[in-house]
Amino acid sequence: MTALAPAAGAASVAERAPKHRRSPERIAAGLALVALVVASLFALNSLGISLPSMLESWSNAERFFTRVGTIRFPEPLELVQLTALTLGIVVTGTLFAAICSVPIADLAASNTTPGPGWRAAARFITVFTRALPDVVLAMVFVLLFSLGSLPGILAIGIHSIGMIAKLFADAIEQIDEGPRRAIRAAGGSKLQQFTSGILPQVLPSWVATVLHRNDINLRGSVVLGYVGVAGLGLEMSHAFKSLNYSLGLGIAIVMLALCVLMELISSAVRRAMLHGGRASGGPLAATTAEAAVRRPWTAARVRTTIWSWVTAALLIGAIVVCNIQWGDLVTVWAKIPPVAAQFWPPSFGAYDWTRMSGAMLETIAIALAAAVLTLLASIVIGSLAARNVAPNRGTRAGARFLLVGIRGVPEVILAIVLIVITGLGAQAGTLALAFGGIGLAGKLIADSLEEVKGGPERAITATGASRFQRYAAATLPQGTPAIIGHSFYLLDTNIRAATILGIVGGGGIGYYLLNAGQGSNYGVVTAIVLMILVTVLAVEGLAMWMRRVFR
Amino acid sequence: MPSPIIEVRDLDKRFDRTLALHGVELTIDRGEIVVLLGLSGSGKSTLLRHLDGLETPTSGSVRVLGEEVPRLRGRRLRALRGRVGFVFQQFELVPSLTVLENVLTGSLARLRGPRLGLWSYPRRLKLAALGHLDRVGLLDRAYQRADTLSGGQQQRVAIARALMQEPEILLADEPVASLDPESSEQVMALIREIAMDAGLTVVCSLHQVDLALAWGDRIVGLRGGRLVLDTPTEGLGKAEVMEIYGRVATATAELEAIETELADASSEARPEHAEPLAEGAGR
Repeated sequence: MTALAPAAGAASVAERAPKHRRSPERIAAGLALVALVVASLFALNSLGISLPSMLESWSNAERFFTRVGTIRFPEPLELVQLTALTLGIVVTGTLFAAICSVPIADLAASNTTPGPGWRAAARFITVFTRALPDVVLAMVFVLLFSLGSLPGILAIGIHSIGMIAKLFADAIEQIDEGPRRAIRAAGGSKLQQFTSGILPQVLPSWVATVLHRNDINLRGSVVLGYVGVAGLGLEMSHAFKSLNYSLGLGIAIVMLALCVLMELISSAVRRAMLHGGRASGGPLAATTAEAAVRRPWTAARVRTTIWSWVTAALLIGAIVVCNIQWGDLVTVWAKIPPVAAQFWPPSFGAYDWTRMSGAMLETIAIALAAAVLTLLASIVIGSLAARNVAPNRGTRAGARFLLVGIRGVPEVILAIVLIVITGLGAQAGTLALAFGGIGLAGKLIADSLEEVKGGPERAITATGASRFQRYAAATLPQGTPAIIGHSFYLLDTNIRAATILGIVGGGGIGYYLLNAGQGSNYGVVTAIVLMILVTVLAVEGLAMWMRRVFR
Repeated sequence: MPSPIIEVRDLDKRFDRTLALHGVELTIDRGEIVVLLGLSGSGKSTLLRHLDGLETPTSGSVRVLGEEVPRLRGRRLRALRGRVGFVFQQFELVPSLTVLENVLTGSLARLRGPRLGLWSYPRRLKLAALGHLDRVGLLDRAYQRADTLSGGQQQRVAIARALMQEPEILLADEPVASLDPESSEQVMALIREIAMDAGLTVVCSLHQVDLALAWGDRIVGLRGGRLVLDTPTEGLGKAEVMEIYGRVATATAELEAIETELADASSEARPEHAEPLAEGAGR
């Protein structure tokens, strides 16, 4: 057996050892990764993010508060109306997307799709609706419907279809095929297979996704106000535009509280779903089929029923609050051709290509700089929040708590507040984006590190390595592919968020988007949207490639 | 007479309500090749893990290389672990690292600070690691990812990682339980050859009686967390071999019947207690 040949001299071992060879694709991906990191550092530099500038902005903030004085809130009745309308639009929009996403996900999932053509079309819808900023949709719909809540509902609804349908399709692809096969074997139709074999398995994940999306939509609804969608966001933008900073900040605080409240509710619902499960019912007291035909009202059934009715009432309430002009949905079709004509052809109008590409580059720079800041912070916090890395329980609990706290703060509102208070544009936007990202990225990194195989860690411990050595040798290498994946997810969401930042004064392409929309230069809007779409799709393609190479 | 390299006295280990080890006494001298024999759940893994300080005893004493293991903390515990190699049933290589870097992680106890990437290890250690890879016959795989190797190959890499520690003792926990017969034979032969060459003390847990008899110099039998057997393998007669099967390798249900038979047939002095309660403990 050659495998057991005695050891030869060390020098000859080095000669006989194979050369360290990597595949060209891996080298290319590695270089791309390095290039991105270098670009992020350049971005940080070009945006002028540094400690002195932050200290200076702090003194700006102090001056601001002495000038503005106290924070004011809207009148109580008006506040309640605005809050109800904002929540109604967000919930109705999310509901619309949730319903639309079911058939689209069914077509997009590889195991339920009727054919590759359908699948490609459905996947295209998910990618396209996700890439199209909801602000742009809102601009279009404000033009079509002029007033009312429909522009907001449709903008939120259509933009949300992408994410909900994509995650729902992923969930469908991961189901256990057994129950469905059994229903097919029993002669069930395709629809029956879906409703009885698939839906019960994926319903919890669907509800969780919808709730998560609802949180995101509430956070994003502020920006929709800047382009004319009714609600708290619109009032806030009016307040800031008329330099009524104390009222604007007051509304921002209300919005912040609303977001935290919604986050708490949806996480409570998710937890109840996860642990409570559905009422299974105990053994029946009835002895005959006649008596057993009525399902007994156990405590669990009563609870489930009550919550179902409460949920239904809330959803109906949300729709009623919106006071939808249903008639508009019929008359709107006639308006579409002339409005569509205004958006075509795309042009840069009064701007030239250098200015627009410069603005787009600034948006990308904001996204990159924010991503690298977020990653630095969240690798540290996320590692400390991982059970197998944290030196003790207290550290882990503290880090987890910090991450949850950060997740509760909506980054757009943070950006608005920072921009208004410090008077900075792109820098304040970047910092807000960077801070807001830590919550999610830190949690994802912590979870991925906790999911690595424990065996190699134990083996490294058994060699006598220290905790830190074990972290570098076993935990981090196993977690790296996931961390790379999360980084690109972060970059992806940052690009989308950074385009919007400009609308609230955070620099980049968003400013020109808002200007073009308000100046009725719709050809420019189209041109900018195309630029955003190309950028977003490019980042998404890059992310997919990286995830594949660094598996 | 030299002092023993491993000395376990009255070792008890309790996991929640199950007693995984009970009153274990074991003395092993330098250079011995010992098999811990027992069914799964007999406590042999737990005993091995105590020897490397991976478990702390509920009570009793564990002395390894002259150190009282349960008392060691931090740097001194890591120093001891550095002198004791451990080979796992599931190999436990870091799948995304190269074979060479996996071997190099065996040198971490002698290095300061975390290391990530081949460049972070000194050339001297890389040469040593390549030498160990050559020793286990996998030099040509040095730069492949660990998870591209077969099970037998991965276990040989794990052995090279243990050799990288330049250990005085090699502990192996069911090293071939996840391998096919041919790879098993290779791996077991390799461990024995290396041990003989380097004068290593080896403690290897196994569950197959025939393999233990053919491979070890001495067999220590465990059952339900108690030591039930301790015998050299040389010159064992057929009756004694049958007795080993009876003591160590029979399912719980048959235990009592066989025990009465053995009580008559055996002149073995060591008392034996069945402890069905602790069955299924350990890992």
